Amino acid sequence: MSTGRGDVDAAVAGLRARWGAAAPSVVGALALAPVPAEPDETPRYDPRPDDRVIRTGFAALDAILGPGGLPKSASVAIRGEGTSGRTTLSLRVVAEAQAQGSVVAWLDLSRSFDPVEAVARGVDLEWLVVITPASLDEGLSIAGSLLAGRSVDLLVLDLPGGRLARTDKPSRIGDRLHRLAALARRAETLLLILDAPGLGSGLATAVAESTGIRLELARRSWVRLGRDVVGQRTEALVAHNRHGPPGRRATLRILYAEGGERDTCLARDALLMDQAPVHEAPDREIHDATAPPVPATPAASPRTRPTLRALPAPRSARTGRSPLEPGVGHRRRSERAGPRRPPRDAARERTPARP
Amino acid sequence: MTRLLREHPRIDVEMDADGRLVAIRWNGRREPVEICNRWRVEESWWRDPIARDYAKVVGERWLALIYQDRIAGTWHLERLYD
Amino acid sequence: MPLGSAHRLVPEATFIDPDPEADRGAAEAVFEALGRSSPSLAGSVDPRSVSFGLFEVGIDGLGPLWGAEPVLAERLVDAVTTALPGEVRPRAGIAGTHFVATIAAMVAEPAAPLIVPAGDEAAFLADRPSGLLTTDLDVRARLTRFGLRRIGQVAELPMSALIARFGEEGGRLHARARGQETEPFRARRATKRLALALPIEPPVEDLEPLRFVLHRLVAGLTAQLSARGLAADRALLALELDLAFAPTGTEPRIEVEQRFPEPTADAEAVERLLFARLERDPPVAAVQRLELELRGTTPAAGQQLPLFVPQAARTARLDWQLARLALTYGEDRVRRVAIGDPEAPLAEDRWSWRGVGLGSLGPEGST
Repeated sequence: MSTGRGDVDAAVAGLRARWGAAAPSVVGALALAPVPAEPDETPRYDPRPDDRVIRTGFAALDAILGPGGLPKSASVAIRGEGTSGRTTLSLRVVAEAQAQGSVVAWLDLSRSFDPVEAVARGVDLEWLVVITPASLDEGLSIAGSLLAGRSVDLLVLDLPGGRLARTDKPSRIGDRLHRLAALARRAETLLLILDAPGLGSGLATAVAESTGIRLELARRSWVRLGRDVVGQRTEALVAHNRHGPPGRRATLRILYAEGGERDTCLARDALLMDQAPVHEAPDREIHDATAPPVPATPAASPRTRPTLRALPAPRSARTGRSPLEPGVGHRRRSERAGPRRPPRDAARERTPARP
Repeated sequence: MTRLLREHPRIDVEMDADGRLVAIRWNGRREPVEICNRWRVEESWWRDPIARDYAKVVGERWLALIYQDRIAGTWHLERLYD
Repeated sequence: MPLGSAHRLVPEATFIDPDPEADRGAAEAVFEALGRSSPSLAGSVDPRSVSFGLFEVGIDGLGPLWGAEPVLAERLVDAVTTALPGEVRPRAGIAGTHFVATIAAMVAEPAAPLIVPAGDEAAFLADRPSGLLTTDLDVRARLTRFGLRRIGQVAELPMSALIARFGEEGGRLHARARGQETEPFRARRATKRLALALPIEPPVEDLEPLRFVLHRLVAGLTAQLSARGLAADRALLALELDLAFAPTGTEPRIEVEQRFPEPTADAEAVERLLFARLERDPPVAAVQRLELELRGTTPAAGQQLPLFVPQAARTARLDWQLARLALTYGEDRVRRVAIGDPEAPLAEDRWSWRGVGLGSLGPEGST
């Protein structure tokens, strides 16, 4: 992947001879990106021959979509109730799209976008615009402008649930969604619509009718570390697919990395327990890119209860934090005794694209 | 990945006879929950003091992060895991 | 020449005592008048300068604003006539080079501007005396000695022959004779202020006709920027209102300053952004005059190459569209995000909103 220093110097010298002061400066981190000591989640720029597809970040899901991912001119609806993994999946798609050179806009109609979480999922904030419209109507107008301007490659429409999603004219909204989908097709922009729980039936129907791919996510089990819930297994069903065969399923395993000592436990499969119904046969488990790499030991069957290691006793709290019940799990972002993988500073640590 | 509900909507909670949290009520729906993690945050005592008892709760549909504002005595929903 | 000698030569002449200050003031008045038509002016106000009385006007890009060259020339001549006392009859020439335009002005009839079409410079000069090519008396004499009495004869020679005889000056003579530019335009003042204004008669209330006027102003000024390799980073738009039917208390003049996402000379981008601003804050009364100034001029940067980051090639276009969206819908609707302290105990302290280039916001704003 990395070129020799001499090649980089020669390339920069050539640029300076041609462009003078306008030539880009070489920052050491860009020219000589060190191989990270630990595998990280940031997708690497990988200009595969078929750049008409954006990968989802979950190999199993890419495999069942047909073209190996989400077509760039497609409109995709992701539906799921409760903690289904919709948002995690969407952010992984954003990260993958950015790694492929995309600019992304996130329409935060639900007022719940967390940039720190997004960065932890590999999203580069430098190439992300967050739109916070006052209403669904305004959001659709802004979305239309962005698509018509062909300024973004991926547009995520995070629909609000509950009161904010109610509309007196679902048919009008449906028309607008159809127009958005048409604009996205013309602009070769991937339109990702996150169906919110509690969306009115009119609006839900409008979303379904205006999208060419519909993914339905359903959580099948929690993943526990001791008493704490640290992840989930989610089944993704391709309910509708104009770009490939519908009806296929894949299981996604999502672990919530929150930093601190606990994350190292996530890498140790023997410590984790799937809380699945006994009668349900597990699908083939595919470890997704969000999970830390699994050590070379057989994965524990979800039906067996692995031996739990004793968890370290909580230390005395640093300023502002105190245990409520000694011995209860790991605290979120507790004292930083162990190395913490820092969230990505997107502005500085952007992985260079491969030429 | 969690969703951060920036306005930290207020919720209602139900406790059992021993004072343990057993359910939360939000958006008109009741969700029985189990606590899987807890901690306390105290900040900014020199200006606008913040004192919150956080609880990570798991229910049938949601894994969520809630907290009790110990100064106001109210409960709020901060995050939803998704 | 002593005054007595001059009097003997021309007994009927009237001799006026020189008044350098008055002459300087008159020249300044002419530049002031010409400046209303073009921000690019050259010439001297020093009465002792050999070029005193010669006013050079850069007219690049002014066509859409003032009309075709004959109309523009008439406008400039009228401006000079109005600015000077007495009965002054200026002569004007328009051409593609400094030298040819000067010669055209010299031979033009008063009030009949002479326009040399592009490409015809050499033909226009061919029959003119070769002495016009230089102010150096020695070079003039040598040209005559070599039998080169017409500019066309100089143009026909190979450049190498002229260089062999006249050195570097021979190269300039050759280029000048062939109608090529040998003296880059040097504006009288540094182009720090680029401004133009248009009256609107009758005054307009609707935005569409206002946009038409705005289009002309932007086209004119950005062409001036491009011609000089400059870019501007903001605009000042001033609207003079017709108060005849305006609500009581309406200010007669509205000034709007609009920053650009980046320095630019792109007419379309500037026009669309400024129009978005007008749509957001439309004038409350009919507009009778529109003035535009482009500020913050800097040398235009070369195009950045998307060497390491594929998205970088599209940044400019995206930034402009985001700027327009922010103007249309509000700067709190279209934003970027910056991580502050990701370890902060409270979620609300870990990050903040960033504007899209029109002005940064502070800590997380209310949504």
